[in-house]
Amino acid sequence: MQKRELARAYIPRQPYVRLFPLREALMRGTIFPNLYMPYREKDR
Amino acid sequence: MWIYEKKLQYPVKIKNKDVRMAKWIIEQYGGADGELAAALRYLTQRYTMPTGKSKALLTDIGTEELAHLEIIAAMVYQLMKDATIEEIKEAGLAEYYADHDKALFYVNAAGNPFTVTYIQAKGDPITDLYEDMAAEQKARSTYEWLINLTDDPCVKDPLRFLREREVVHFQRFGEALMDVYEYQNSKKFY
Amino acid sequence: MDRQRCELMRELQEVSFALVELNLFLDNNPTNQQALADYNMFARKYEELKKMYESLYGPLTNFGYAPSKYPWQWVNEPWPWE
Repeated sequence: MQKRELARAYIPRQPYVRLFPLREALMRGTIFPNLYMPYREKDR
Repeated sequence: MWIYEKKLQYPVKIKNKDVRMAKWIIEQYGGADGELAAALRYLTQRYTMPTGKSKALLTDIGTEELAHLEIIAAMVYQLMKDATIEEIKEAGLAEYYADHDKALFYVNAAGNPFTVTYIQAKGDPITDLYEDMAAEQKARSTYEWLINLTDDPCVKDPLRFLREREVVHFQRFGEALMDVYEYQNSKKFY
Repeated sequence: MDRQRCELMRELQEVSFALVELNLFLDNNPTNQQALADYNMFARKYEELKKMYESLYGPLTNFGYAPSKYPWQWVNEPWPWE
C-alpha cells in the first residue's frame, strides 16, 4: 500500500461486486448493495 | 446540450395535501444545500476539470441534480394541490402565496431567495471536488431532517431515495478526487 | 393514469435508474468490463421499453429523439409532476 500523505483525504475505491434487483435498486436509491446506507430515524 | 425526458426519475404520488411540509421541502428547491445549488455548482465547475472522467462525472451528476429538482417540485406541487387559503395561512405560507400563489419559486424554507453565493467554482479541481463532497453531505443531512418532519410514507419514500443519492454522489466525487490527485502527481515527473 | 401505464412507467424508471448508476460508476471506472457489459445490456432493454411505452402513450423525449403521431403528441398531458 502507498504511503498516506498528510493534509488530504482518501476515499477507498468502490468494488463492482453485485447489483440489487432493479425493483429494489430504485426503491433503495442505489443499485449497489455496498453503497446502501439507510437512515435509521431512531439514531437521532 | 440538454435533452429532457418526460418522466420523473422516482415516482411521486402524494395522496394527502400538507402545506406545512411543502414549506419545509422547498428548502431543497431554493435552499443553500438543495438541488438547484447542486446542479448549478457541478454544471459550472465542470468546465475547468482537468480530465475527461471528471468532466463527464460533473456533467452527469449535475444533470441528475436537475432531475432531483424536478422531484422536489413535484412533491411541493402535490402537497399544495387543492390547499385552501385557510390552510395556507395556518401553515405560515401566506407571505409566499401573496407573491407566488401556488407557483414553485426558488426560495428556502425560511423564504429567503436563492443566491449563487451558496455555491463556488474555485477553478482548482481539488478545491472544487472537496466542495462537492461537502455539498453532498449537507444535502444528505437536510434530507434526514425532512424525513424526520413527516410520517406520510408517500412523502418519506422519495425523500429516502434522494438522501441515498447523496451518499452515492459523495463516493463518486471522492473517487474523482483520488483520480485528480493522481493525475496531478503524475504530471510532476518529467 | 391506468394500471398498465403505471406499471410500464415503473419498469422504465427502474431500468433508467440502473443506467444512471452504471453511467456514474463507469465515469470513474471506464475500464470495468463487467460494468460496461451490464450498461449495454440495460441500454438495449431500455430502448425496447421506451419504444413500447411511446407507441401506447406518446413520446417521452422531443427535439427529434422520438417520433410523434398526428397531432403533435409532445404537448399531451399529464406532465410528470401531475
